[in-house]
Amino acid sequence: MPALHELQQAFAASMLLEQGSVICNHIIEDGFSAAERLRIYRNTFHATLTAALRMTYPAVDRLVGRDFFDAAAEQFIHANPPSSGYLNEYGGGFGDFLAAFEPARTLPYLSDVARFEWALSFAANAPDLPALQANALTAVDPEYHARLRFEPHPSLRLLGLDYPADEIADAVMSGDDAALAELDASSGPVRLVVHRGPDGIESQRLEPAAFAFISRLCAGEPLERLLESAPAQAPALIAEQLTKGRLEAFRIEKGDS
Amino acid sequence: MHGRARAGIVATAGIGLRFPHHRIVREERPAVGWLEVHPENYMGGGKPLEHLDAIRRDYPLSLHGVGLSLGSADGVDERHLARLERLIERVEPGLVSEHLSWSAVGDKHFADLLPLPLTEEALAAVCRNIDLTQERLKRRMLIENPSTYLRYRHSTVPEWEFMAAVAARTGCGILCDVNNVFVSACNHGFDADRYLRALPRQSIGEIHLAGHTLRKFDDGRSIRIDDHGSCVCPEVWALYADAVALFGRVATLIEWDTDVPPLAVLLEEAAHAEAILNAESADAGVA
Repeated sequence: MPALHELQQAFAASMLLEQGSVICNHIIEDGFSAAERLRIYRNTFHATLTAALRMTYPAVDRLVGRDFFDAAAEQFIHANPPSSGYLNEYGGGFGDFLAAFEPARTLPYLSDVARFEWALSFAANAPDLPALQANALTAVDPEYHARLRFEPHPSLRLLGLDYPADEIADAVMSGDDAALAELDASSGPVRLVVHRGPDGIESQRLEPAAFAFISRLCAGEPLERLLESAPAQAPALIAEQLTKGRLEAFRIEKGDS
Repeated sequence: MHGRARAGIVATAGIGLRFPHHRIVREERPAVGWLEVHPENYMGGGKPLEHLDAIRRDYPLSLHGVGLSLGSADGVDERHLARLERLIERVEPGLVSEHLSWSAVGDKHFADLLPLPLTEEALAAVCRNIDLTQERLKRRMLIENPSTYLRYRHSTVPEWEFMAAVAARTGCGILCDVNNVFVSACNHGFDADRYLRALPRQSIGEIHLAGHTLRKFDDGRSIRIDDHGSCVCPEVWALYADAVALFGRVATLIEWDTDVPPLAVLLEEAAHAEAILNAESADAGVA
């Protein structure tokens, strides 16, 4: 008689179609074989996760069509089963998976569209945390200004993509075939900041310098170094991030100088 | 909390609330006793939680979990429990329920309600996980009987005895899914009425009703799949009337997850359940 943990591991191996699962030996076969019974559970597992991926990646789905999406999802799910029961956090690696997915090779921008959609989904599901208000900073003693470090809002993602994935996804989702036909997928890389602010989910394209600055800001570089890196633009850029609700907190580290 | 509906769920019919109905429920406030949602759909922030907060002001709410994996030999996931705890603090549900099943082993989660071997070892594991969860959430929870498509050779305890033992050992209540009793009884050849009669009446805190699919094979074999994608079938309505006669008035929920129909269809199903509850109350009053 298998111990519960062993049995659950053997069941898991069968769900992922791993060779040598011994689960069938433990299942009663009246009317249906163990394999047929297990297939019911495997089908539900696949259907649930494929539906979850389709909800997160609607533009990818429309770009490749249902059958292609299902086939890609099946392989992805096998290689990357969820690690928790909270499915909103499932599927973040689908973009990287598609980049290496042989049948998608003729659509080089597909993985970037997926990365963009993941950022949208991530922003949609991020916890409700209030954004940092500019007036919270007025209470900080000027002596500590140089050491201020900012933390991004948990909904924020910075994306450096090779293809204009935001434009492609928008055209696909709005069903705008004319825009899609005119769209130049090779128009070059885009840098995006995606977050959920007071006005909902927002994606903004950034110039290389602003993107580099916001990346450093969100990585928690102290204000002194941020100001040094872009003396002319820094005040306006920081003010803009505060207004848009892209920052969540600040901290002052005592050891900083 | 200011301007919020009472938390307690009374013994009336409710419906499972799914995303396509968020808006219409907020706008039209249909006359239904209470609503039930999967907490996993509201563990983040943003729009879904905003809808839930608004809806909670008008309706008592039940949280019906699908991701805790109470049957895992590894124990329950601390992160999931923390998320559930936060949501409970926020929406103050009248009921919190989960399933007699498992979903996860090691770091892999299968997003489905998988069948447990019905052994003393599994019973001990389930009770340990329920004890820990109830202690952590500081509340009694309800455990639902599953629909199953397979049985293990080494199972030693009938499912109805297993359910009763879980309730007796942990003090949890039972969410009796009448459709699941029917589906499993057909799939495994046991007597659905016997199952209902074996459940401890005083532990029944909720009843679920849903539709299922009879999948027929060319060679004449068939199996019932619990897909929550259709109306409650006549046999399950009949079994529900038996359950209500046995258990008395119990809060009853209409669940629909696949191909979710217009809200009116769910409300009609709930009205049907309500009529059966009322008929039983009238009988009990006469007797």
